[in-house]
Amino acid sequence: MDERKIQILIDSLLPMIKAGLQFTIPLTLISFALGLVLAILVALVRLWKIPVLSQIAGIYVWIIRGTPLLVQLFIIFYGLPSIGIEFDPFPAAVIGFTLNMGAYNSEIVRAAIQSISNGQWEAASSLGMTRGQALRRIILPQAARVSVPPLSNSFISLVKDTSLAYTITVIEMFQVSKQISATTYEPLLIYCEVAVLYLVLCTVLNALQNVMEKRLARFSAS
Amino acid sequence: MLEIRNLHKSFGTLDVLKGVDLSLEKGKVLVIIGPSGSGKTTLLRCLNLLEMPSEGSLKLGDSALEFGTGRKPSKSQILKLRQSTGMVFQSYNLFPHKTAIENVMEAQIIVQKKDKASARKRSAELLAKVGLSGKEDSYPHQLSGGQQQRVGIARALATDPQVMLFDEPTSALDPELVGEVLKVMKQLAAEGMTMVVVTHEMKFAAEAADTVVLMDDGVVLEQGRPDQVLRNPSSARAAQFLNVLIEKEG
Repeated sequence: MDERKIQILIDSLLPMIKAGLQFTIPLTLISFALGLVLAILVALVRLWKIPVLSQIAGIYVWIIRGTPLLVQLFIIFYGLPSIGIEFDPFPAAVIGFTLNMGAYNSEIVRAAIQSISNGQWEAASSLGMTRGQALRRIILPQAARVSVPPLSNSFISLVKDTSLAYTITVIEMFQVSKQISATTYEPLLIYCEVAVLYLVLCTVLNALQNVMEKRLARFSAS
Repeated sequence: MLEIRNLHKSFGTLDVLKGVDLSLEKGKVLVIIGPSGSGKTTLLRCLNLLEMPSEGSLKLGDSALEFGTGRKPSKSQILKLRQSTGMVFQSYNLFPHKTAIENVMEAQIIVQKKDKASARKRSAELLAKVGLSGKEDSYPHQLSGGQQQRVGIARALATDPQVMLFDEPTSALDPELVGEVLKVMKQLAAEGMTMVVVTHEMKFAAEAADTVVLMDDGVVLEQGRPDQVLRNPSSARAAQFLNVLIEKEG
């Protein structure tokens, strides 16, 4: 590799990392956290068959899972302004990814809660706990353990999916790499470089997942 | 202390309890026996409303509840009743993500709003009472079945219930572990705890019960002192059931 290419690689590293820290990572963390809250609410509404809300939740999950994420982002950012609802790029991306995470993760959370034996609910009730107390203290902590592997999966998918935010003008990591590639005429080099950055990010997250699974497994023999 | 009148429970079209009357004085032990499907576990679960009776009435301490169409106890009535009962399950149902002492502390902190230090102190006493000092920080999976069930008893005692309900507490245990659980239950009975016990342990019924109730097909078939019910049942059906049990115990 000639010196010029090495220089380009080095020069582009900092802006990309900066974009990652400024947009890719915050977008991932915020969307995942909000999406998880939404997912738990949707899962509970559907598990407890709360009238009206559970039907709305069902339709929401059906629509989000049945349409492309890219199309959802376009509707939010480019579509909604025509009926007077306008968002800046970053909030629009947060909304899009949150809705997406909420729908997919609600199924994970629902399955995890259902996997906890009914005896746990009964034991909590027999002690005089309310349904909310039983959920918070007894059921969710156990469901969390079951759902760590599938939730980590969707978290890692989200990290990579945030690159779609470039289409609605968020200046995240991939957007920056695109710009650099356009000015340096080195698409192969630059896109491989950004791919490596995503790979590093996901590898770190994978290691975190392993740590978390070990910590949560401490109360279980298996 | 405990009084139920004309208690019915049906699951859809299946009538499991067909009008049960029972009463129990404070400090007494009531043992319910009967063939499987007789409704004995359902009856026990009706006492803390894990099953909602379809009809009848239930009085426990100062809770008086009526059941039937249009008469459903409120949420606060249900919680109050459950707080005055303690239940021990056949399959223990310990909280697997909590240590033995945390299992016992949980309701004191969450339901009774005690502070952690006094809940921990009380829980350590209860674990000592069931012979599990030194096991405070073990997780359920690190304990034997008999030990787990004793944690279950301590957990149920932690909220100072007026009556303890036991749902076949030794049925899931290996035979050599049954004794340690029965011993704790006998000790509780001797201390004057009011208890309702569903069990197949005839020896326990004979030694610890004040009243034995034999259920069959959703009704009370026999009721009386243990020697009376277990040795001289008045009905042929009861005699037949007891014979089967005695043969099994051999």
